[in-house]
Amino acid sequence: MPKPIRYLIYAAAIALLAYNSVYFKKLDEVKAGTTAFDAAGYAKDFWEKKLTPGLSKAVDLNVLTSLLEADKEKAFNAHSHALGIGNIRYFLVRGQGVVTHVDENEVSVQLTDAGAKTATPHVRIATEYIFGNAVRDASGAIDINAFTNSMDFNNVSAEINRIIRDTVVPPFKSKVRKGDRVVFTGAIELNRGHLQTNDIEVIPVNLQIEKP
Amino acid sequence: MSQNIPSIAGEKPAGDRLPPTADGRSVALQGRFSIARFQSLIALFLLCLALSILSDKFLTVSNLWNVMRQISVNICISVGMTLIVLTAGIDLSVGSVLALCGAITAGLLKNGIEIPTQNLYIGFTVLGAILAGGLTGSALGAFNGWAITRFSVPPFVATLAMLTVARGLTMLWTGGFPISGLGETFQFIGTGWFLAIPLPVWISIVVVALAVFLTDKTRIGRYIYAIGGNENASRLSGINVNKVKIIVYTIAGALAAVGGIMVTSRLDSAQPNAGISYELDSIAAVVIGGTSLSGGRGSILGTVQGAMIIGVLNNGLVLLNVSPFWQQVVKGLVILLAVIIDKANSKNE
Repeated sequence: MPKPIRYLIYAAAIALLAYNSVYFKKLDEVKAGTTAFDAAGYAKDFWEKKLTPGLSKAVDLNVLTSLLEADKEKAFNAHSHALGIGNIRYFLVRGQGVVTHVDENEVSVQLTDAGAKTATPHVRIATEYIFGNAVRDASGAIDINAFTNSMDFNNVSAEINRIIRDTVVPPFKSKVRKGDRVVFTGAIELNRGHLQTNDIEVIPVNLQIEKP
Repeated sequence: MSQNIPSIAGEKPAGDRLPPTADGRSVALQGRFSIARFQSLIALFLLCLALSILSDKFLTVSNLWNVMRQISVNICISVGMTLIVLTAGIDLSVGSVLALCGAITAGLLKNGIEIPTQNLYIGFTVLGAILAGGLTGSALGAFNGWAITRFSVPPFVATLAMLTVARGLTMLWTGGFPISGLGETFQFIGTGWFLAIPLPVWISIVVVALAVFLTDKTRIGRYIYAIGGNENASRLSGINVNKVKIIVYTIAGALAAVGGIMVTSRLDSAQPNAGISYELDSIAAVVIGGTSLSGGRGSILGTVQGAMIIGVLNNGLVLLNVSPFWQQVVKGLVILLAVIIDKANSKNE
């Protein structure tokens, strides 16, 4: 095949690919009608109208660990949420127990069974490093497809964590002492593939101290 | 050199090591290759047999398709790695390149490009985003090849540098956050079915077919084996060694991008830490598949078998609830065993 014709075919193929690959718009037209996303406002609204009312649905951590031992898949399917299909899943949980250790970063709690008062595993309530998407994803109440871009979606998580750092943790952290009885609700992360239930970190959503 | 010389592992040997006889067979190998050439397949069969006895979930349709989906990504990466290892090179950057290409594809698809100074928004279709991801992988692979050939940097070092660079670029591009919600059309690549077979499996079949054609039926395929067998002899015989190496690294980069797009599509999310340690799984697949790390000997189909062994092993260890720490130990020992067998085979030759 003559070179000019060959190059012409190549150029046509590239042009066709490019035509079907990208499109151009004026930026102000794209932005029109889409006001800047208010992540803080969205997170506050979510906290007050979706998360807090939904806390009553949080699964008891003792019940969850029993379920996980009995039928892991059933427990994950019934109580966890996550984006995508990875092994990392998030649970909204509640529990109560006795504080066994307090330090700058976390409060260790020995769970107690509300009925039998039997000893159950320790959990760690995070009180310093509140990061990640645990609370946002554990709630199962935010649909990623409702967001025009992933940065907005991630900013919601950052703002939820900020609410926890500003309003949930300080009153608890300043008063909690070893031996206190605490009641908590929060989000936890578990790996479906490699389940570890003896060292669970709780990102708190609600914390209460019941002095002995 | 001839590509049609069966070796004891069923792989193509370096021409300068195994001169063919008139009937196209190596004298040294005649009569004793029959069992050894199937050693990977035998290992795979025994592994599957053991797992089907030890776990009732292994031989279920859903689990086997799941394994095949997971293997598909490693096959794509390992095919590129095989071409590189055949030239006596190595590519440690495939995992990071995979992550970056997946992130770029997802980022462009989700957010496009905004150029405020020109009041311009460039949006990308699924095709456009995939092409951009593929071109990124190819460019990074080409850069690896260029750095290795132009500055005589050992492949290990050059690709180790790229491993860090690509991971850093991924973090910069994503801001450290996943890019999720990429739409159903894009998700279909990683989760869809075609003719009752998962689409990722079809993609890996096409990749393997093209790679087998490249290595067996083209001039550059013969050059790849020749360079791995004896680089100086290849250069003296007129082969443009640098050009071939750059092409090989470019192909490997493009295939890492294919893997990245498949992973991103399957998860509907580009994870900044995706692909970590994928290079080890792909090297393991290549070695277990019988490709010699010193180059010049090996085959794409051997690598496919190696990838299947690694994939089945990963799946089996999870099904058997083996601790992830022990999983790494087991995989390491399997790789070591494969290298020892390879060395023994080479010695016999």
